[in-house]
Amino acid sequence: GRGLGGARFGWGLVWVGRGLGRGGACRSVPVSPGAGWSCRAVLGEGHQRTVRRVAWSPCGSFLASASFDATTCIWKRQEDGFECVTTLEGHENEVKSVAWAPSGTLLATCSRDKSVWVWEVDEEEEYECVSVLNSHTQDVKHVVWHPNQELLASASYDDTVKLYQEEEDDWVCCATLEGHESTVWSVAFDRSGERLASCSDDKTVRIWRRYEPGNQEGVSCSGNDPTWKCICTLSGYHSRTIYDVSWCHLTGALATACGDDAIRVFEESASSEPHQPTFVLAAHCCCCVGTGTLHCSASVRRTSVEAEPSRKNRPRVSFSRHMSLMARAVLPVSFLE
Amino acid sequence: MAAAAGSDMFDEIVMAEERFHGEGYQEGYAEGSHVGVVEGRRYGSLHGAKIGSEIGCYLGFALTWQCLLQNCTDEKNSKKIKALDSLIGMIQKFPYEDPTYDKLQEDLEKIRGKFKQVCSMLNIQSDFRMGTERSSLTF
Repeated sequence: GRGLGGARFGWGLVWVGRGLGRGGACRSVPVSPGAGWSCRAVLGEGHQRTVRRVAWSPCGSFLASASFDATTCIWKRQEDGFECVTTLEGHENEVKSVAWAPSGTLLATCSRDKSVWVWEVDEEEEYECVSVLNSHTQDVKHVVWHPNQELLASASYDDTVKLYQEEEDDWVCCATLEGHESTVWSVAFDRSGERLASCSDDKTVRIWRRYEPGNQEGVSCSGNDPTWKCICTLSGYHSRTIYDVSWCHLTGALATACGDDAIRVFEESASSEPHQPTFVLAAHCCCCVGTGTLHCSASVRRTSVEAEPSRKNRPRVSFSRHMSLMARAVLPVSFLE
Repeated sequence: MAAAAGSDMFDEIVMAEERFHGEGYQEGYAEGSHVGVVEGRRYGSLHGAKIGSEIGCYLGFALTWQCLLQNCTDEKNSKKIKALDSLIGMIQKFPYEDPTYDKLQEDLEKIRGKFKQVCSMLNIQSDFRMGTERSSLTF
């Protein structure tokens, strides 16, 4: 395949500037910077099982890899490659996702053991667990941080999205978003962080908005905590489970990766209202499966979609920071902001 | 008179099956309830003991470490001590005498989470597995 060779199939793909980092089922983490996507490094001997997700730190010097072997490795970029500087242990089984907070001092991991762990890293690059959150009642699939606050969101097999923040020196679950009728696979915040998109096995994407106590729209809140209300449901567009959703922070477009091997891009319509938004399908591309041919192009303004042949029915999607490429992967993706 | 006596007698015969059915049901229900209460009590007792055992274990563990670290005043250890204090506080606040406490499960999960965090900070396996020993501590 073009550029991302070396593994049986991939699980993760991340952008850093014009480079890609990738997690794979072959347990090592190839890192491929450069426009030609040539493999520049293979981070082997870190994990004993599938690497499920990778994430670059905001500063770009560290790569975190979450694995089914229940550990998360932190790799530091050196002149001649990458070195594993720490292994975060504690989860009882498969770690499903890892995410860095925008401040770069916090990291979150989530696992099939139903828990979400929050880790803090100090100036000496020492990692410490600051909280173990057992709010979900089932496998936690994904964690993502708010773009500018220390607010964490998680998506789970228990059909809910939960939000967490630090209150009086301890992390607590401050909101539970109910509404999806099946597993929530992924969540994404919009640029402002006032809205959240979630995608699910129930074939819908839901948009949620935060309402503060005393808001003008009359949305009731309990106590001093804000409430998140579902203000839009995109249904009828996807014929299978939606595995990933990404919200472009430059254009506001929403991209989804679906089990029917298609990528869809939605844009907010001109008549969309802040508290009752409407989205229209702007692009829809299907990819050929299994034969190894690569084709797919769609364009939304200046974005073009590139695709890899799908050998695993779990496509992922993300927008690159420069909007010059949107990678479609068989792989979860993330990007350096 | 004869008609009244006659209708009672026939009534008894005709309604016999239904009456026996009803009586049988009452007897069965009473017996079932009794057996259920006994089983429930046994289950509750076991389950309660399990939770007690688990929390007791966490408490003993935390108190021991609190003791071991009491003379360490450096910053590194202060975070560990704080987490230990928090765990001990949560356990001591846990209402043992009230099985109908509505946040029982929630508080229990918080205690388990805090215990795992403390283990992580102390670099101890939370299931107390040492080396390659197969057995680990479970409740």
